[in-house]
Order: sequence, then structure tokens, then C-alpha cells
Amino acid sequence: MDELLADFVAETREMLEASAGEIVAWEADPTDRARLDTIFRFVHTVKGNCGFFDLPRLAALSHAAEDALADCRSERRTADAALVTAVLAVIDRIVAMVDAIEAGETFPEGDDEDLIAALEEGAQPITAAPQIETADSDTVVDDEQTGVARKPDGPLAQRSIRLPVDLLDRVMSGVSDMVLARNDLAHRLREAGTQPTIDGPFERLTTILSDVRDAITRMRMQRMETLFSAMPRLVRDLSNDLGKQVMIDLEGGDVELDREMIEMVRDPLTHIIRNAIDHGFETPSDRLKAGKREIGLLSISARQSGNTISIVVSDDGRGLDHDKIAAKAETTGLITSAQRQKMSRDALLQLIFEPGFSTADQVSNVSGRGVGLDVVQDNLERIGGSIQVSSTVGVGTLFTLQIPLTLSIIAGLTVETSDQRFAIPQSYVEEIIHASSKVLDFTRAGEKALVTFRGERIPAVRLAEVLGLPDDQLADGEHTKVVIRLASGDLFALGVDSIHSHGDLVVKPLAPAIMKNRLYAGSTLLEDGQPVLLLDVTSIAGQYELVSDARNRRLRTHETGTEDEQGAASRAMLFTDFAGRRCAVRLELVRRIETTPASAIDLSGPRPRVVIEGVILPLIGLPDGSVPSEKVRLLRLSDGSSELLHAVREVDDAALLTDTLKPVPDDPEVEAVTLVDGKTVTLLNGHELFARHGEVQQSQDRPVCRLPETDWAKTILAPLVETAGYDIAADADAREDIAIWFDDEYEAALALDMQFETPVIRLRNVPDAAGTSDTVYRYDRDGLIEALAKARKRKAS
Amino acid sequence: MNDLLVMAQIASRRCAMHAQDVESVIEIGTVTPVPRAPAFISGITAMRSQALTVIDCRRAMGFDPGQFALDHRAIVVAVAGYSYALRIDMIEDITTGSGDPAPVPGGFGTEWSRVARGLIETRVGPALLLDLPALIAGPDALGAAA
Repeated sequence: MDELLADFVAETREMLEASAGEIVAWEADPTDRARLDTIFRFVHTVKGNCGFFDLPRLAALSHAAEDALADCRSERRTADAALVTAVLAVIDRIVAMVDAIEAGETFPEGDDEDLIAALEEGAQPITAAPQIETADSDTVVDDEQTGVARKPDGPLAQRSIRLPVDLLDRVMSGVSDMVLARNDLAHRLREAGTQPTIDGPFERLTTILSDVRDAITRMRMQRMETLFSAMPRLVRDLSNDLGKQVMIDLEGGDVELDREMIEMVRDPLTHIIRNAIDHGFETPSDRLKAGKREIGLLSISARQSGNTISIVVSDDGRGLDHDKIAAKAETTGLITSAQRQKMSRDALLQLIFEPGFSTADQVSNVSGRGVGLDVVQDNLERIGGSIQVSSTVGVGTLFTLQIPLTLSIIAGLTVETSDQRFAIPQSYVEEIIHASSKVLDFTRAGEKALVTFRGERIPAVRLAEVLGLPDDQLADGEHTKVVIRLASGDLFALGVDSIHSHGDLVVKPLAPAIMKNRLYAGSTLLEDGQPVLLLDVTSIAGQYELVSDARNRRLRTHETGTEDEQGAASRAMLFTDFAGRRCAVRLELVRRIETTPASAIDLSGPRPRVVIEGVILPLIGLPDGSVPSEKVRLLRLSDGSSELLHAVREVDDAALLTDTLKPVPDDPEVEAVTLVDGKTVTLLNGHELFARHGEVQQSQDRPVCRLPETDWAKTILAPLVETAGYDIAADADAREDIAIWFDDEYEAALALDMQFETPVIRLRNVPDAAGTSDTVYRYDRDGLIEALAKARKRKAS
Repeated sequence: MNDLLVMAQIASRRCAMHAQDVESVIEIGTVTPVPRAPAFISGITAMRSQALTVIDCRRAMGFDPGQFALDHRAIVVAVAGYSYALRIDMIEDITTGSGDPAPVPGGFGTEWSRVARGLIETRVGPALLLDLPALIAGPDALGAAA
């Protein structure tokens, strides 16, 4: 499709979109003069444009409609319902034709005489808006009233309806409220303890709610197309004005974005396009000289990656001249020449986002309007986005805009300072460093507080100070530090008293009087219904000059995976065991929290067992093999194949393991000790728990024990050895890891110079055996188990 | 004009606001303070799942709230799409007003003139009809604009 024709299609679309509402309004009131004018202008423009192309049918149709409407305008004729219907039918037909043109299809042969005749005064009114003959199923008119027809991407059109935006907003806020109510309920349920009859349905509710929320979020989405639709026109006009030839290539129009975001992005994007055409592209003659095509290519593509949308605007113009940028930055005092020497080309390029920077030698009427790229960057950062530039001289420039998907529901972290809680968007949180950890290395340089983070000194500020809250008693270095990574890539540490929880926060706007101090981005309600303020970290950083200036601004590496970094901190279920120890197991292992009556616990076996839902499962964690109370809380752990239960005195909460895990080498059941909220927590070794107590037989992993060839050994000793975690050697040739001998037989074997390749446990027949302490009485169960365990440990070490 | 008016005492003076501007009257619960917000903003509080900005009307007019009683209830009003909980001395009644708000020669005094739309006659006597947007803008609004 040639370019002009594409423009024609784009323009027709645009006008239709603009006048969609007018058409509906006109239908409601045919005598409305203002609406009539709008529609007249539309058909008039279409007619005019048709003149440039060989589109006789389109021209004839629009001409006929124009005539009829002109009569109305000059009051030679009154607009009545019949005329409205006829005109609408014509507009529908125009849309269908335009669709066909765009798709490069030939519109089915036919006659528009019926439509044109219907426009005649006194003609038989068309009873219904006539069906549009479609070329094939993929030219679809989705809403005949508005005449806004879109060609869907796929061969199957999705059914669509139009809804007023405020209705959507109401539904959206209703769902937000539901999320809050659910959180509140969750909180109360947790306080009330486990109630299996309620927990199940509640889980279902949670799942459904999150599905609905996803769907609602999608409802608010708008295609990038709405933003893109105005671009071709903009590019055409600008390039005409500036004597340049630029072709636009749009990609990713089907990417969806929150419609608030679309509005936020519109201006920055327009600005960048203006800049590109004004400064980026060479004149056609210069391009030819440089060996490029005469027509420049500006391509805009949108892509969704995870939780962000990236929009890339690239041109194949002259590229950014870093020397020129550097010289400009020096003259405006952004950098000194000494600093300039040390800066990489990339670092120099980022200077264009600094306030007060503009490269244009002369201010043109297109881009030099006093609004710089710094404003673009500001606007993007305000919505949690970012912008970067990369460029190659002579080849072109590429701007990358990163925008979060939605504004209203974000993952957030709750922190506390001076007895008040605040929320921080999780996406900004790089890491949490607890006060006690040695890595902090708090120092002061003049008035500036610094901490060392990953070998780099970063500025630190106390939240209490930022907010002017009364000072707490903690010394400078004793605060828990939340390391914030700003969209620009800058890091700073925010000192808080403690970290509370994290979760989805529904962000509500704050009154303008509060927003004015630029500390808060909104408010949200915690699970208990308490409102908390969401901190605007970008703005706080700006006010405290924590954002490094141009000199050491580091280029944020492409699409830094904040999500990955969040994933690095694993989550654990905290509980108190019967010894009063604060323990934790990794959350992935916890399947459920069960409460069981004491009667379901069977202590008669070698190891405690419990019956849950008709299944007998091993139970650990009981104090000295007794049942402490009528009802016992159990953590049901699963490694995927086997299950076991851990009795606990109290289930505390799930928490993030953000602190360093200190391994405990001398207790295999403990993976590490760590700090959660400033208190030590013993993290149980899930692997060891399952290795020792898990139900599923892992014969290849279990050591093999050889028993004496007697009936007593087979019937009485074997089960004991098996429960101690050993397999019994099946026959004389089988591999063995340990052997149990009767002491008298052992003595005999020794006397025969037999070689013992494996450790041997010797059993004696008498309970008391002075002097022979390395034997075990055959009915000393504990002694035997201990000996087996010891032998195994010896083997392991 | 016979409008329904919500009557309240603010800084020991009888004030009125249009009932249509009033969303509800709530028992005020915990108010979360907002650090570094203007003094007349007491904080935010939750009403159902909404966060309300709590405004101390006495401070918003420039009075010292310590000298007056404080009702445990607050009047919730919506201004420009945001909801505010207004703290006042006392909520009195709902009544009907008669006539239009009228200016009084010599004004109502500096604090009052900024937030009052005029004197309105009601069945329980004359009251100052409040200009809610002006009230919510706070005592510095004039200074900031100047």
C-alpha cells in the first residue's frame, strides 16, 4: 500500500474516531446543527481525499452524502430519521471500504445505488442499517451505530461492546475494595486459627478474586493502537514542515496498556518523535550523500515483558554526537572538563535527560519549545517508568521507554519508623539489609550518611528524618536499611526501624493538599484496615538530592530484572516449636497448616505418627514423644512425593528471609540460623527432615545393614533397623554399609582373621557388660539406634 | 431556596453546609497522621475501603483547636473527587435553610470571610454557609495564591 493511501486511511480512521460520539448524538437529535456540521466535515474530507486516489465508489458515496447534508445545512431540507439512517449507512460503507483498502483487499463488486438513493429526499427509509457486505469474515463492523470499525488481527473477530469509562472505574474500584475486604478477612481468620471448614472456601474465594482482578485489570487496558493512530499524521506534518522525508513504522499496536498510562505516555512519545524528526534525521540530500536512503525510517515498537511495557523509538538518522553533547554540558556547567574525560560515550549520551539541556543549535518551532527531555524523564519517572538512549553516529538513535503496566495495584513493602507504617513499592526495593548485618558499614562523610552496598558507597537517609518524625532512639547504623533502586539506576538506602510485610497494595489517590509535599504517591489500606501512606521514593530522592547528578549517573543496565532479585529472598513459614525455639521452614515445603486432636496421634510405634484424612503420616517435633495438649497444630510439609508433619506450639507468619543465612554445621536438621525482624530464627533443613523422616522409601539412598542370619534378627531386629533408616542386606552377596554381629560370633570371626570392610555393631546377650562398652545389649533399642546413627554419621563424614 | 443543611459548630460558631455535599457522618476511628502535611490535615482515616483525608476545620480556618470541644463524629464531604472527613466542635442537626446566602456588611472577620459563602437563615437561626473548597484549601491558600 503506498504511503499516501496509508495516510488517507489513517486520517479517515482518526476523523471517524473523533466524530464517533457525534454520530451517535446526531442520531438522537437530527436537528442538532453542531453535530450535522461535524458529520458534514467528515464526508466532505473523505470526498476531497478521494480525489487523489482512484476510488470512484468511495467518492460517489461521500459525494452523495455530502450533497444531502449540504442541503440540510443550507436549510433546503430538514434532517429526519430517514436521512440519518441513510447517512449512517453510507458512513458504514465508507468504513468497510477503508478497511478493505487497508487490508489490501478488493472490496466486493457491488452497487452503492441503493444507499445513494436512500439519501434522496422522500426516499423509502431504510428500515435498518443495511448489512455491510464483507469481503470475508475478517472485515468486521463491530459497532454499527458508531461506525467505528476495526479490522481485527486474527481471522476471528472478538465480540466487543462499548462501556462508559466511569462504569469500568466503578467495577475496578469495587474489585479493589473486595481485595481489601479479603485481606481483612484473611487477617481475622489467621487470628482465629485454622478452621478447615472455612479455610477451604476462603482459599477458593481468594483464587476467584485474583482471577477477577486480572480480568478487570485487562478491561482497563487499551491497545497501543490508540496512541499510535495519531503518529503517522504527526510524522507526516512534521517532516513536511522541516523539509525532511520520514516514513513511520509502527509495531506492537496490539500491546495493551492501562489507559491512564496511555495518556501519561502520549506526551513523552510525541516529544521524542518531534525531537527525532527535528534533530535526528538529516535532510534528504544529506542522507543521499551519506549513502542512505532518501527517506528516513522512524520506527516505534511496543512490547510487553513481564510487568513492564517497553516502547522503543528508533530512527536511522545521524545519531547523537557525544562531543557536541559534552561540549554543551560543559558550557552549561553540567559537567567539568575533567569529568568529561572520564565519561564513556554512553554516559555522555544520558546527559540529554539532564535539566536545562537542549542540543538544537537553533530553536525551531518544532522541538525547541522550552520543554526538554528532562521533563520527559520526569514524567516517566513519576509513573514509575524510565527512559534511556543509545545511539551510533551516522546510524541512528534509539530511545527505550519502560513503563509499568498499571498504576493502581502494586506489590509493596510495609516498613515502620517512629511507630508509624509506610509502604514502598516493591519494584523499587533492591534489597533489605538488617541493622545487625555486618555488610552495612555505616559511615558519615560530612553531613552525608553513607552505607556500603555491594562494594559501593551509596547515600543513606533515615525515613524519620525525611518525614520530620520524632527521632527514635536508634543510633545511625542501627536502622534496617531498605536499598532503593530508582528507575534511573541510582541506589540509596532508606533507614527504617523495621520491615513488616509485603503484599499487593491497592493504591488510592490522596487529596491534593497532601500530594503537594511530594512525599507520597498515594495511600493504601493494610489488612487490618489501617490506612498507610505510600512513599514516593523517586520524589523523596530528588528532594534529598540522593539522585546522583550527571557526573556519576550510571546507565541502568537493560531491563534489570527486579523480579529476579526479589525472588532471591526466599520465603519461610515462621513458627515456635515446643522447645520455645523460633523456627522456620521454607515456605515451598509447607503444604498446609493442620490442627489435629491428640487422639489422632499414635505414639506407640518407634516414631510418632498421626492420622490425617485417613493417611498415616510421620510426625516430628513433639516434645520428648508426648502429646502436649488436646489439640496440636501441625505443619504439613511436603517435598512433592512424601509428606511429614511437624508439630508446633504456634504458627507465627510467613516471612521473607532477607538476612544472611548462617549455616549450622553441627546440626544436620538445621539449615541455618538467620534474623527475621531482628530476632534469631532457626531455619530447619528441609532436605534433612525428609531424608530422615519422609515416608517414601528411597532405597537407593538408604544405607544397607547386614544382620545375623537368625530368626531373632529377622523378626525382631530387622524392623528396628529399618525404621532407623536402613535397608536389610538381602543375601550374602549384597552390598552392605554396616553390619550387625552377635558379639560371640564376631569374636570368632575375628579369631579367623576375617576382614571387616564395614563398621560393625556388636550385640551382646547380657544387659550389663563391664569392660565391653563397644557392644550393645540386644534389647537396648535406644543404644542400638544410637549406634546405627553414629555409624551412619561416621560413614557420611 | 429551601435546601437541606447540615448544621455544625465550628470554633464555637454555627455553620451550615449543603446536605447534598455531605456524603455521610462517621464515627472517627484511628487517624493515621501524615508527616509533613499542612497542620490542618490531621491525617488519613479509613472509611470502608476508602481513605479519607481528615481535616480539622478549626485549624483550616486559622483557629487553635485546643480551645474548642471536638465531636467524635466527622462529616464526610466530597470535593473535587476526593473525600474528606471534617472534624468540628459538634454536629448539631439537619435543617432547612430559607433564602440565599447573603453577605453581611463589614464581613465576618478574616478567618471566616475566606471560608464563608454568606449568611443563611435557617429554622434554627442564622448560620454561616461554608464554602467547602475554600475550607479544604486550608489557611495558607490565600497566602500561597498571592
